[in-house]
Amino acid sequence: MTQPEPAVGTRQSATGAIYDLGYRGYDGPRLGRGAAVATLFWWSLRAAYGLKRSGRAKIVPWGIAALLLAPAGVSVAVAALAPQAPSPFSYDNFLWNTQILLAIFVAAQAPELVSSDQRNRVLSLYFSHALQRSDYALAKLGALTAAVFGLALAPMLVLFIGRILLAADVVQAFGDEIDRLPEVLLTPLIYAVPLAALSLAIAAYTPRRAYATGAIIAVFIVGAAIAGIMGNSLRAGPLREASQLINPMVPLDGTRTLLFGGSIPESPVEGIGYPLAAFGLEWLAIAVVGAGVVWWRYRRVAA
Amino acid sequence: MSLIEARALTKRYGAHVTALDALTLDVEPGIIGLVGANGAGKSTFLKILLGLLDPTSGSASVLGLDVTRDGPQIRQFVGYLPEHDSLPPDLSATDFVTHMGRMAGLPAAASRERTAEVLRHVGLYEERYRPIGGYSTGMKQRVKLAQALVHDPKLLLLDEPTNGLDPAGRDEMLDLVKRTGTEFGITTVVASHLLGEIERVCTFLLAIDGGKLLRAAPIASFTERTGTLGVEVEEGGEALAARLSERGLAARFDGHTVLVDVADERPYDIVRDTVVDMGLALIRMEHRRHRLEDLFRQAEDGADDAA
Repeated sequence: MTQPEPAVGTRQSATGAIYDLGYRGYDGPRLGRGAAVATLFWWSLRAAYGLKRSGRAKIVPWGIAALLLAPAGVSVAVAALAPQAPSPFSYDNFLWNTQILLAIFVAAQAPELVSSDQRNRVLSLYFSHALQRSDYALAKLGALTAAVFGLALAPMLVLFIGRILLAADVVQAFGDEIDRLPEVLLTPLIYAVPLAALSLAIAAYTPRRAYATGAIIAVFIVGAAIAGIMGNSLRAGPLREASQLINPMVPLDGTRTLLFGGSIPESPVEGIGYPLAAFGLEWLAIAVVGAGVVWWRYRRVAA
Repeated sequence: MSLIEARALTKRYGAHVTALDALTLDVEPGIIGLVGANGAGKSTFLKILLGLLDPTSGSASVLGLDVTRDGPQIRQFVGYLPEHDSLPPDLSATDFVTHMGRMAGLPAAASRERTAEVLRHVGLYEERYRPIGGYSTGMKQRVKLAQALVHDPKLLLLDEPTNGLDPAGRDEMLDLVKRTGTEFGITTVVASHLLGEIERVCTFLLAIDGGKLLRAAPIASFTERTGTLGVEVEEGGEALAARLSERGLAARFDGHTVLVDVADERPYDIVRDTVVDMGLALIRMEHRRHRLEDLFRQAEDGADDAA
C-alpha cells in the first residue's frame, strides 16, 4: 500500500485536515493490586485532611490542626519570652492533654473515609477493581492511622524544633534533644494506631455518617466519663483500678510510659498501679480487635 | 477459548433461595444481551464473574482466568456498571473517574488522559468539573459508563444501564452502548429485563429464568420465532381469527385484537386478502414488540416439543 489510508472521519479542506482519531485503546502498563491499594491509601489520606475536597470538608481537619498547633506554638513562644517560666507542655503530656482533639478528629473523619463509600454504594465499584476486600480494609486503616499520626506529630515537632532553636547553645541543645527524637516520633504513633482502629471499626458498621460520628464520640467520652465517675466514687481497690481501663485513652498513655518513662500527673496511669505492660496489652488488644473488626466487616459486607 | 465460560454455576442464598441453578454457558465476542425477569439471576451472574460473590458450586472463568482465584487480575480487564447508584456526590466526574482508573491499575498520568477521553466519549463536557451530586440521572449513568471504560477493558459488564432513565435518555444510553461495543470492539454483556432494549443493541442473546439458561442464540433467531402480528378490525375480530385459522395461520382473538404468529412474509398477504374478502374495516396492523413473556412462552413450548 503506497498511499496511507485516511484516518476514520478525515475531512480534507484547503487549509488542512481535521482528524477524528476515534477510540484509542490503552496498551500501557497495568500496575495491578499493589498500586490499587497504594492509590486508595493516598486517596483516603487526602480525604482525611479534606485535601482536594470542598471547603466544608476542610473545616474539621484544619481546625483541629490549628487547635493542636496553637498550644505547641504558644508553649514555644512562652519559653522564648520567659525562659524561667515552667513550660506547661512536654513530650510526655502534650498528646494526653490534647487527646479530645484527636478523638474529635477520628470521630469526624473515620466516617468520612468509610461510611459514605457504603451509603453511596461506591464499594461495589472498588470491589470490582483490581483489589481484594481485605485490601480495602488495609488501605483505610493505614490511611486513618497515617492521618492521626501526622496530625499528632506536627505539634510534637513544633515543641522539638522550638526547644532546639530557642536554646542558648543550639548545637548543644540539638545533641540533647536528638536523644528524645524516638519519643517525639513514636508517641504520635502510639496514639494513632488504636484511635484509628477503634473508630474505623465503629464507622465500618454505620453507613449513616452522623450516627458513626456520634458513636465514636460516645465511646471516647462515655468511656472517660465512666472511668472518671468510678475513679471518684469507688473505694480504693482492685475494682476502682480496673475501672480506669474503661477509658480507652488510658492504655495510650500507659504504653507511652512503658516505652519512654516520664509518668505524668494528669493521667491516671501511675495511680492505677498496674504493671505498665498491662497497658501495653490493652493497647495491643484495642489495635488488633479494632483492625480485625474492620477486616471482618469488609470481608462480609454486601457490594 | 470463550471470553466467559460458566460450568454448572450455582449460587444459593441461604437454604431456600437459588439465584443460579447449574448455569452452563459460553460467551463469544460481540454485544451480548443477558435477558431475564427481575430476580432471574442476572445481577448475581455478573457479580460472580467479577469475583464480588463466590459461587456455591460450579465454576466460571473470564478471559481464561478462574473467577474465585484470580479476581484482581480479571478485574483489571473488566469494566462494570452496577444497576444501582454507585457514585460519591461530593466529587467531580473528572476526579472520580481518574481515581477509578488508578484503582484499575493505570498510572496517574495515563488515568487522567483516559478520563478526559472517555468522558468526552460518553458526552460529558463542561459539567465534568462539577460535583456529581448535582447531575441528572442520565449524566450519572454516563459517569458510571465512563468509569467502567476508563481502563480500556476487554470485557464490559453493564447491569441495567438504562435504569431510571426517561425514554430519550434510554435511547441515548443504548446508542452509546452500541457505539462502545462496535467502535471500540469491546465485548459487552448488557443485562436487562427489557427485551426491546436488548434487541436494539445486541447481536447475541442469553435468556435466563430462575437461574437457568433458557436460550442462547443470535438475536435474529429470536425475532423470527417470537414475531406476532396484531390486527385490529372495527368488528368481526372473532370471525376473522376463525377464518385465518382455517387458512392455516396460528391466529387467536384476545377480545380486542387478532394476534397472528408470523414466521415469514406469507401471513401478511393472507391477512390482507382475508380482511378484504370478509369486507371488514381494518383499523391497524402492527408488528408487536416482543415481550419477555412471549420469549419465555416460546422457550417452554420448545422444551415441550422436544420432550
